[in-house]
Amino acid sequence: MTRFERRDFDVQLTYADESEFDITYDDLRHACPCAKCSPMRNQDETSKTLRRQVEALPKEKPKVRTVGNYALGFEWTQGCSSGIYRFERIWDLANRRDPDNGKPYVHGAW
Amino acid sequence: MSDSPVSTHDPKAPEESAEPSPQEQKKMEQAYAQMKRKMSMQEIGKKIKHKVMVLSGKGGVGKSTVSTGLALSLAQQGLSVGILDIDITGPNVPKMMGLDGRRLHVESGRIHPAQGHLGVKVISMAFLLDNEDTPVVWRGPIKLGAIQQFIGDVEWGDLDYLIIDFPPGTSDEPLTVAQSLPDIDGMVIVTTPQDVALLDSRKSITFSESLKVPVLGVVENMSGYTVSGKATPGMEIEIAAPAGKTLKTTTDEEGNFSVTLDIFKEGGGKSTAEEFGVPFLGALPFDPGFVRGGDDGVHRIVSDPEGESAIAFAGVVAALQEQIVDGESVGLEII
Repeated sequence: MTRFERRDFDVQLTYADESEFDITYDDLRHACPCAKCSPMRNQDETSKTLRRQVEALPKEKPKVRTVGNYALGFEWTQGCSSGIYRFERIWDLANRRDPDNGKPYVHGAW
Repeated sequence: MSDSPVSTHDPKAPEESAEPSPQEQKKMEQAYAQMKRKMSMQEIGKKIKHKVMVLSGKGGVGKSTVSTGLALSLAQQGLSVGILDIDITGPNVPKMMGLDGRRLHVESGRIHPAQGHLGVKVISMAFLLDNEDTPVVWRGPIKLGAIQQFIGDVEWGDLDYLIIDFPPGTSDEPLTVAQSLPDIDGMVIVTTPQDVALLDSRKSITFSESLKVPVLGVVENMSGYTVSGKATPGMEIEIAAPAGKTLKTTTDEEGNFSVTLDIFKEGGGKSTAEEFGVPFLGALPFDPGFVRGGDDGVHRIVSDPEGESAIAFAGVVAALQEQIVDGESVGLEII
């Protein structure tokens, strides 16, 4: 990834080969990898609850920071800011793939 | 005269408040020393290319073993490396580095580190103790002062890596170092595959968030113990492993076999890393040679530089170096 542009409702990503992708902030927040949000995606019902919670939050551009050279962290004024998003996870989201690889989150791992 | 609105000043008269009191003088001197130390810490920060904190949530997971192992493995690459043993109450890095009983050299108010195996520079509280059986019972402010002195008053010279070994837990020490030393690359979390250690490691990872120091990765120590032996070639061997498991293997053409027993559990460090989305740097084997080496002052990496543990450490160091970027960013433009 070479560019991360925060727009009003989504983020546009540009990769080294100049390919561009976008991820809505709602999708980004719903895919939070932290230990509190992840178990909620295990079941359809709780995943929908997480989605509703995320969608109810005010639309805002997050503060973005790099974490080492492997991930990004997002800071929102409301809601969860704990997740560390590895670049692979963001790539999965950009390509509309399940970043959890369809695996449930059990005892701290997918 | 005292009722007059006009005040007069006699330059020859002694000024009552011109000279500071001894207490004020002491405070000024302390403030000056503190300012000088802060400037020195900034300067030292520039001379050391990479600073890596080594932490664990739980005690006894082999944090000092990992710190010294990382330092020696980096030194094996020809890099200049230092270890700052910040474990004030239980400093044991000098013993592992063959520097037991060594005293520090102080010149012009600057502390010169001792040099251990492979030229690794070491600073530790142990060097200041008259007797290794004497406990250091210091409360917060004194501890904080000692740590700042260890950072600001030490003549490290130019270093490629400074490895900072902390006491277990999420206490004052990492906080003080994170606030005093600029541009820390990140922290390495050491764990063993037990649930208790993993639980505490998760606390350390969360702690890193509050320090705003990135986690470079998780290292699983005491991961597995390899049993090797010799029997008839092609023979099937059964070994009773922990948790009631039976491991089977077959000897090779020369009759050699080896089986790795997961003394605690398997893969806990990796799953903790995955849970938090941080890198897993690797697993280090359960190697009794570390205990002997630690006691004798000859580190396992020094006594057996091509052994299983040294190779495992080299793998962890390679993964660590991948996480540390030269330069200031990952080349990502954030708009």
